[in-house]
Amino acid sequence: MYYICIKLLIMKIGLFIPCYVNAIYPDVGIATYKLLDYFGLDVDYPVDQTCCGQPMANAGFENKALSLAENFEKLFAQYDYIVAPSASCTAFVKYNFPAILKGEHLCRTGGKIYDACEFIHDIVKPEKLPGKFPHKVSVHNSCHGVRELHLSSASELNIPRYSKIKNLLSLIEGIEITEPAKVDECCGFGGMFAIEEPVVSVCMGEDKVKNHIAAGAEYISGADSSCLMHMQGIVARNKLPVKFIHAIQILASGL
Amino acid sequence: MSLKNDIIDSVRRHAQAECDMPEISLEAVKYADPVSEFVEISRFVGGDAIILKDGENINTLIRTLYPEAVTVASNMPEISISTCNPDAADDPHNLNGIDLAIVKGEIGVAENGCVWIPQNVKLKALYFIAENLVIILDRNRIVNNMHEAYEYIAGTGYGFGVFISGPSKTADIEQALVIGAHGAKSVTVILS
Amino acid sequence: MSTKHAAAARQFILNREQEQWHNETLWMVRQKRDNMAMRIAEWEELRELAGKIKMHTISRLDHYLELFSSEAERNGATVHWAKDANEHNEIVYSILKEHRVKKLVKSKSMLTEECLLNPYLIEQGIEVVESDLGERILQLMGENPSHIVMPAIHRKREEVGKLFEEKMDSEKGNSDPTYLTRIARKYLRNEFLTADAAMTGANFGVAQTGEVVVCTNEGNADMGTSLCRLHIVSMGMEKLVPDLKSLGVFTRLLARSATGQPSTTYTSHYRRPGEGCEMHIVIVDNGRSEIRGNSEHVQTLKCIRCGACMNTCPVYRRSGGYSYTYFIPGPIGINLGMLKCPGKYSDNVSACSLCYSCNNVCPAKINLAEQIYGWRQGLDSIGKADRMKKLMSKGMKFLFSHPALYRNALKMSPAINLLPRFLVYSKLNAWGYGREMPRFAGESFTSMWIKGKVKKTNRK
Repeated sequence: MYYICIKLLIMKIGLFIPCYVNAIYPDVGIATYKLLDYFGLDVDYPVDQTCCGQPMANAGFENKALSLAENFEKLFAQYDYIVAPSASCTAFVKYNFPAILKGEHLCRTGGKIYDACEFIHDIVKPEKLPGKFPHKVSVHNSCHGVRELHLSSASELNIPRYSKIKNLLSLIEGIEITEPAKVDECCGFGGMFAIEEPVVSVCMGEDKVKNHIAAGAEYISGADSSCLMHMQGIVARNKLPVKFIHAIQILASGL
Repeated sequence: MSLKNDIIDSVRRHAQAECDMPEISLEAVKYADPVSEFVEISRFVGGDAIILKDGENINTLIRTLYPEAVTVASNMPEISISTCNPDAADDPHNLNGIDLAIVKGEIGVAENGCVWIPQNVKLKALYFIAENLVIILDRNRIVNNMHEAYEYIAGTGYGFGVFISGPSKTADIEQALVIGAHGAKSVTVILS
Repeated sequence: MSTKHAAAARQFILNREQEQWHNETLWMVRQKRDNMAMRIAEWEELRELAGKIKMHTISRLDHYLELFSSEAERNGATVHWAKDANEHNEIVYSILKEHRVKKLVKSKSMLTEECLLNPYLIEQGIEVVESDLGERILQLMGENPSHIVMPAIHRKREEVGKLFEEKMDSEKGNSDPTYLTRIARKYLRNEFLTADAAMTGANFGVAQTGEVVVCTNEGNADMGTSLCRLHIVSMGMEKLVPDLKSLGVFTRLLARSATGQPSTTYTSHYRRPGEGCEMHIVIVDNGRSEIRGNSEHVQTLKCIRCGACMNTCPVYRRSGGYSYTYFIPGPIGINLGMLKCPGKYSDNVSACSLCYSCNNVCPAKINLAEQIYGWRQGLDSIGKADRMKKLMSKGMKFLFSHPALYRNALKMSPAINLLPRFLVYSKLNAWGYGREMPRFAGESFTSMWIKGKVKKTNRK
C-alpha cells in the first residue's frame, strides 16, 4: 500500500475506459485500475459508459456527440475526479464538452477529468513505484497529450522543457528512456483522418515509427493507445522490430 | 469603382466587438555588449561588421576590404576614395554598374544586424543597385532590439527608410542559400 | 471516400523520394524557426502581443483605415479602394494606362495572386515581370506558387537549370544554385532597368504614419521601386498596424517565423514618393470586411503570411502545396479557402490530423486547428460531408447511445479477428492501406469488470 495525502483517500474516482481501449486494450484499463487501487484510491467504474464522441466530432458530426456527452455527464458528474487512460479522449471531454452542452446545461465533467498519467503526476505525485522494466522505451508524445493537456512542453513553444510521462517512467527501475527525432510530430492517426487521408496518414505513421526505431526503441510507449494502435498497424504490416506498451502498463508493471 | 466610404461602410456593417490595444511594455532582449552582439549577428546573416580601430584610416580600411572596386560612390565628405558623387546623377538608371557604395547608417540593431538608413542620398537606388555596400555606423548608436530602434525612428521624419541586415540573398532554388540575388553581394558595416 | 486533397496527396507521395525531400526541407525551415524562437526569451509574450494588436486593429478597422488613408494622402500618395479582385485589377490597369506603362516589374505579392492580376494585365497588353527569383521561375514555367514564402519549393535545381538553359541561355547541364541565381540576377537586372513601373505588396501598413512596409531578402522590391517613377502598392485591408511601436512587434516575429532569419535583409518603409515619383496604394477588401463580422473565423485576418503553419504541418509537408485546391495551401489556406467559398474549397478540410502544431507556431496566435475542426462541423449542412463518414458517425452514435447494445457489441467484436483477410483488407477498408487491423481482445474491460475479474487482479 502506498501512502498519499489523506484528502485524496476520501475522494471518489470514476474510471473512464474509452471505447477502443475497452474492446482492444482492456489490459490498459486493468493497469489503470491496479495503479489507482495501489495508491489506495476509491475507484468506481460505471458500467453504462460508452464513448466520449470524439470520433464523430472530429469527422464533422459533433452534433452526434450530444447524447453521448449527456450520458457521460449523467454517469460521471457524481465523482470528485474522472480518470481515463487516454490523453485524447480526456482532452475532448475537457475542451469540447462545454461547447457541445452549451444551451443544454453547464458541463460538470470537463473540469474534473484527467488523463491517467496526468492524474498520477499532478495529483497523486508518487515518489517511487515498485517494479522493473529493463527495456529501452521511446516516449510517444501524442498531439492532444502535448498540445491540449500539456503533458510535455510542446517543441514549438519557448517555455521551460518538461515531460510528465518521462518523469513518471523514470520512477521505474531499469528503464532506459529515449525520444524520437521530431519529438512531438503527429503520427498521423487523427481519428477519421486515418481513413479519409489514408496515404498521408500511413506516410506519417511510417516516418514516426522509423524515428522511434532510430532512437533505439525496444518499446514505443505513451499516454494514447489510439496513436499506438495506428503505429502498431504499420509495424505489423511491415514486420518491424519494435513493441508497444501504454505508459500506464509500464507504471503498473510491478503490481 | 468603389469609393472609400463604400468600403468603410462594409467594414462597419460587419461589426466586431472592440478589443483593447495591449500595452507594449515587454522586457525585450538586452545584451551586455551590444556591439559585439551586432558584429556576431552581422556575420550570421552573411554580412560583416568591423570595428574601426583607434587612429585607423577609414578610407584605407575600405580599400583593403574592396581592392578591386573601380567605381566607388559616396556623398560622404570623409570618404576620399569615392570616384563619383551619386548625388550628381539625375536618373537612378545611371547608378547601374557601381562596384561599391559607401553610405551612412543611423541606428544598428544588435538582435538582428539591421542598420536603419533613412534616405540620405538623392536617389535611393544607390542602396540596392551597387554590387557591394559599405555602411558606416557610429558604434555608440547600436540599440538592443527593434523596439528601441522604432522608439528612435518614431521621433524622426523620413520619406523613405530601410533596415538592411546583411547582403541580398535568396534560397528559392531548393532552399540552398545564395548570397547576392538582386541587391548588394556583400555588405560591410564599419563601426566608427 | 476520397477528397480531392487526399487523391492529390496520394499522387504526391507516390514519388516517395521527392516527398521525403519536400518534407525534410520544410522541416529544416521549421527547425530554423525554432532556433530563432528559442533565442528570444520573450518570444511567447511577443506572439501574445502580436495577436492582441491585430485583434484590436481589426476590431477598429474602420478607424484605422480612415487614419491610414488620410496620412498616406498627406504624405503625397494616392489611395484607391477596391471592393473585390476585379476592381483591384481595373484600378491597377487604369493607373498603368494613364502612365503609358508597357512593362511592369513586380515583387512577390500573394494578394495579386488572389486577384489573378497577372493574367488580367497580360491580356491588356502589359508586360508583367515577376522579380522574386522563385516567382520568376514559376512565371517562366507557367505555374503557381506551392508555398506562400517559398513559392518554387516543389521544383528541383535540375528543372530550374533546364528552364534557364531555355529562357536565359545558361550553360547546359549546370544546375548549381549560385550559378543559376547569378544568371537570373543578370537577366532581371535588365528587366529592372527597362521597366516603366514597379508593383509591390505590403507586409504592413502603419496607420499613424500612412507608410507601407515591404520585407524582402532579395532586394527586388527596392530595385523596382527605386528605378521606376511609378510605384503601385497592393494592400489587403487587414495589413494595418496602429503605429511604429506596434510594427516593432511584427518585424521581430515575421522573418524568424517565416524562414528562421533574425530579420529579412531589407525592411523598407515607404512613406513619401520620391521627387518626381508617384506612389499609389490600392486598399483591397475582396471578402475581408465580411470575415470581420464572422466571430468564429475573424482571427484569420490576423495572418501575416509567414508560412510557418505550412512548414510545421505534417500533412502539408507530405502532400505539397498543389494538393490543396485553394491558392494558399496549408492550415491557413484551408481556412481562407472555406471563407472564400465553402462549396468550392471544402476538399481541403480533410488535410488536417488536428495535431495543433500550427496554432503553436503562428506568430499571431490564430486558432487555426479549432477553425478547421469548426469547418468540419459545417460540411454536412452544405452537402459536402463524406457519405461514408456520415454513415459511420451515425452508426457509432446509435451504438454508443445504447449502453446495453454497446456491451453486446464488445462481446461480439473478437469474432472480427476471425474474418478472412480478403474480407477485412478490401478496398472499402481505408485502414487496411498500409496498416494491419488491431485485434480485439478476448474479453472487454467492461465484461471483466462486471464479472469482478478486474478487482481480483489486484488481490495479490
